[in-house]
Amino acid sequence: MSAAGFRAEAVTKVHRNGTRANDGITLSVEPGEVFGLLGPNGAGKTTLVKQIIGLLRPTSGRLWLDGHDLVADPDAARQLCSYLPQARLPIDPFRVHEAIELTGRIRGGRGPAVRRRTAELIDALDIGTWRDTLGVKLSGGVKRLVGFAMATVMPGALVILDEPTNDVDPLRRRLLWEAIRQVGHSGAGVLLVTHNVLEAERSVDRLAIIDSGKLVAEGTPSALKSDDREHLRLQVMFPPGHQTPELPEWVRASTRVGNNLLTAIDEKDAAAALAWARALVADGAAEEYALTATTLEDIYIRLTGRQSNGDDAGPDDAGRDTVAGAAR
Amino acid sequence: MSAATTGTASTAAGAAPAFAVRKGVRRWLHGYRVMLRWELGSLRLQVPLIVAIQILAGAGFAVGIGLYRQLPRSDAMYLASGTAVITLVLIGMVLEPQLITQQKTSGAYEFLWSLPLPRTAAAAAWATMATLIGLPGMAAAVAVAAWRYHLAFHYGPSLAAAVLLTAATASLIGYALGHAIGNSLVTMAATQFLSFGIMGFSPVNFPADRLPAWLAHVHEWLPFGSMATVVRGSLAPDMVTGVGHAYAVLVCWLVGMIVVNAVVLGRRG
Repeated sequence: MSAAGFRAEAVTKVHRNGTRANDGITLSVEPGEVFGLLGPNGAGKTTLVKQIIGLLRPTSGRLWLDGHDLVADPDAARQLCSYLPQARLPIDPFRVHEAIELTGRIRGGRGPAVRRRTAELIDALDIGTWRDTLGVKLSGGVKRLVGFAMATVMPGALVILDEPTNDVDPLRRRLLWEAIRQVGHSGAGVLLVTHNVLEAERSVDRLAIIDSGKLVAEGTPSALKSDDREHLRLQVMFPPGHQTPELPEWVRASTRVGNNLLTAIDEKDAAAALAWARALVADGAAEEYALTATTLEDIYIRLTGRQSNGDDAGPDDAGRDTVAGAAR
Repeated sequence: MSAATTGTASTAAGAAPAFAVRKGVRRWLHGYRVMLRWELGSLRLQVPLIVAIQILAGAGFAVGIGLYRQLPRSDAMYLASGTAVITLVLIGMVLEPQLITQQKTSGAYEFLWSLPLPRTAAAAAWATMATLIGLPGMAAAVAVAAWRYHLAFHYGPSLAAAVLLTAATASLIGYALGHAIGNSLVTMAATQFLSFGIMGFSPVNFPADRLPAWLAHVHEWLPFGSMATVVRGSLAPDMVTGVGHAYAVLVCWLVGMIVVNAVVLGRRG
């Protein structure tokens, strides 16, 4: 194992009330790698992050970054990690460029380098319109982008981004993902905490899924999906208030989230599945359906029993071969 | 003194930047400077209002004490110097913990404590800011009292030392309170208790012998009466005794609060 990069070794955190927030988590983030940390609310993602940056102390286990013991030296942890928290940033009284520049100075950057990097980030994220605007007047999405710039203006060896795309509009979200990749290209590791499995699938090099404090899967997106290559996803959307009908025997697994039914089926059952879904729509029991290739979200659902908050999930999700239908 | 560096470098392919862990006095001073900029900047929308209220409160107290009855000049001097101290210390002991509670409630606290700064430098920056905010109100109280009651205060170098020691101690007490208490309601209650105790039951605006003997004895070791003694001892040297003891008590409190803050700020849940 090389000393470079981030390593969590059997990290366990038991809170004073007895809650086991992390249970033996072992993972690594290599320099230049974008690593996704996925899991539902309360899974223990933020607790792990707080231990990395020295806000919490692990009950047991070790945390290493570039050869530094982060548990023994939380001051080193704060110098080596840059952090975008999910919570609100205290930038209301600052103009956008001031908040970014001042954070860069706090992170030890020199004035000219910080100003140059601030200008680059404002340009890369397309937030120049708000360069001189006070934080109090910014929308939630622009504040997230400013927060990202603050975390990466002078990035540490590990850049930790907790839900960086929350509230960000689709166009700037793409710019943000490009900027995240750029941070990786600069040599820093990126630990990306997110609920958004579909975005993570497209953007991370490797990922881990945490549920109830335990690491339940780790690998590249395609490796995690390999077990489900022979399967398809049939998604059926019911009218509000409609119950789930009796499921055919070829349905391998199913989850109902709101009015959406997500099912996993074998490829050989695709024709039967389409016929079943079309009949539901024709009878008015369903509004629309979609048959798609298995996504990482299906793996996520199978492992955690929950749907992610991917706001571009749904029957019209682009980028995959889809057979879809709807009531007329 | 140069900053010490424990070296480390990432080994990613391509142009991997080197990341260093810095220690030492230069890093501390840099952290203090940039954090002072951050703190002053983060309060700039509120500072004009806070300072205006402080000036009005200081001046108002100074005028108000004379409305009760015609004050002998010595009484006016005693009350005015006490008022100046109260105006100065309430910022550190009451406003500060409430601001920290606000940071905790809003989530900003987590971000601020993830920044790569020596925590003692952040505490020092905070204490500096509290002193700067408290000074105008104190100055207003002294100036208005001097004008209203024709008082001749003494403005010597010892006044700067007394004010700085008083403000720094008050600020670090408030800072420790704000960080140590997790529950915002408890912080609110503690600060209210403090302000009530300072104004009503501390020998700041009246001599300690007006208090029950046991409470007067306790106040020999609490900082509030000593804060009044050192400031009053500078503004009106002939009015007080025990200035040396008061300085000793305050220095002990200051050192104690630095230790307490170092422990509180170094805690990890």
